[in-house]
Amino acid sequence: MSIDDRAGPEVPPTPGDDHAEACVAARNVGKRFGSVVAIENATFTIPNRHFTAVLGPSGCGKSTLLRLIAGLVPHEGELDVKGQPVSGPRPDVGLMFQHPTLLPWRSALENVLLPTVIRGRVTDRDREQAMQYLSLVGLEGFEFSYPRQLSGGMQQRTSLARLLMTGAQVLLLDEPFGALDEFTRERLNLELVRIHEEIEATTLFVTHNITEAVFLADEILVMTPRPGRLAGVVQVPFERPRGIELQRTTAFTDIVFDVREMLGAAL
Amino acid sequence: MTGAQLDESTTVLAPAAGSSWPARIGLQVGALVVVVGLWALAADRGWVSERILPPPLDVWRSFWNLLTDGILFDHLGVTLWEVFAGFVLGSAGGFLIAVAGSLWVPFRRVIYPYMVALQVTPRVAIAPLLFIWLGFGAFPKIVLAATICFFPVMINTLTGLTIVDEESDELFRSLGATRRQRFFRLALPGAMPVIFAGLKTAISLALIGAIVGEFVSAQEGLGLLIQRFSFQLNSSAAYAVLLTLTAIGLALYGLMELIDRWVVFWNRDERLAKRSERAAARNARAKAAVARPQRISDQ
Repeated sequence: MSIDDRAGPEVPPTPGDDHAEACVAARNVGKRFGSVVAIENATFTIPNRHFTAVLGPSGCGKSTLLRLIAGLVPHEGELDVKGQPVSGPRPDVGLMFQHPTLLPWRSALENVLLPTVIRGRVTDRDREQAMQYLSLVGLEGFEFSYPRQLSGGMQQRTSLARLLMTGAQVLLLDEPFGALDEFTRERLNLELVRIHEEIEATTLFVTHNITEAVFLADEILVMTPRPGRLAGVVQVPFERPRGIELQRTTAFTDIVFDVREMLGAAL
Repeated sequence: MTGAQLDESTTVLAPAAGSSWPARIGLQVGALVVVVGLWALAADRGWVSERILPPPLDVWRSFWNLLTDGILFDHLGVTLWEVFAGFVLGSAGGFLIAVAGSLWVPFRRVIYPYMVALQVTPRVAIAPLLFIWLGFGAFPKIVLAATICFFPVMINTLTGLTIVDEESDELFRSLGATRRQRFFRLALPGAMPVIFAGLKTAISLALIGAIVGEFVSAQEGLGLLIQRFSFQLNSSAAYAVLLTLTAIGLALYGLMELIDRWVVFWNRDERLAKRSERAAARNARAKAAVARPQRISDQ
């Protein structure tokens, strides 16, 4: 299945194309809630179309960082997305949470159509597009089911389809499958990587699982808590597509240990 | 999922889980037969005075007479009108003030203590004053019913509208939703189950308000009727009116329950199943309608 009418570059990218171009650029970005420092002096850039993991223990400000980029919370410092300073929510940035946040009175299809409903009228084309996204996330045949009738994993798939429906080129995912069992999480992670490659979006993926971060991401922003700080950025140079056997290689475990050390040194 | 998940647990008439409905109805009717049987026995053996507990058959006869005379219907109509008007007035007022309070925090802060003061004042105590202010027709009874209905609807609506799930609200904001969209597409539907819990409480309270109003002063209504029969020591007729009131209470509550099931369909599995099946069938029909002309042109 191809998603051809998505807003985005018309020419498929050749490897290394505009990857060097920054999608998210942060300079001395910080956030205070009253006297509590949630994030201190984070400086980093995320190249276009990269899959970036934001890794750290709870309380390190990963979710806050995502909300700053989404423009839901005002920030200190300089923060640009696609060359534009962040000043509020914007249509090219989409958000997905640990909980499905589906509206229980809307069917799966109606939930996926929510971004369209909020932006204006729903056309037949939008409905067709929503159906396509639902089958892309493996929910063909469940379009008319209500959230209460779906399992946790299926609800999260619906939530992912809704994120795709926004047409956003920057996808912010806050531990999207964290509440699911490990088998479902692993499968959905792989599907997410496949979708990320297919729609050519830039993806930021918050997680507290080191192996997951190394396996999925092109680079990892490692964060440490109290106050939330960026401890460093770890590059993950493995080719894609990546198979599960990658996790057995010493190159993989080396990176896992590097990340663990980086976390340990700062803790 | 969003919003409040108060649902069947707020239903007083919730059926016992795990039993099929014929068995349940059988048990419930059986219990009624036992109670009425004991009642008849007690009256027959003279265990209690007839004044206190008239025999069931006498109550039935009084009921039948009141019904065939047309007396019951006349008074019933008056009381029902007071209940209905009081409920609509009180609920609408409670709902609107809660909506205003949920949208505008300073307003909420100002009115809240007054609302609580109104709630802790026994409204029944203002009944005599209402007649000084508003005279003797149906209107003071409607106002009394409305003031009693007001609070549960207001507090439930306000609670429902202000406990919006934070992540859902963030989602709406990230999608660029306006305040209006956030209210109508997220807060209000999410509050519906809690609002209906308030409405169900209010409808029973409206009946109390109307009857108490009639006790204080009335020319007609079931409250007046029950009072008159009691003064006449006609306890079988008083019982007949009392049981009529029970039937009205049940009917009103059942009606609200029905509307609740229809509006808040997403908390009922069987309603959801029906809706999703219907939507899927509609979709299949639409697809077939599109496919047919193509097939003809293919040939």
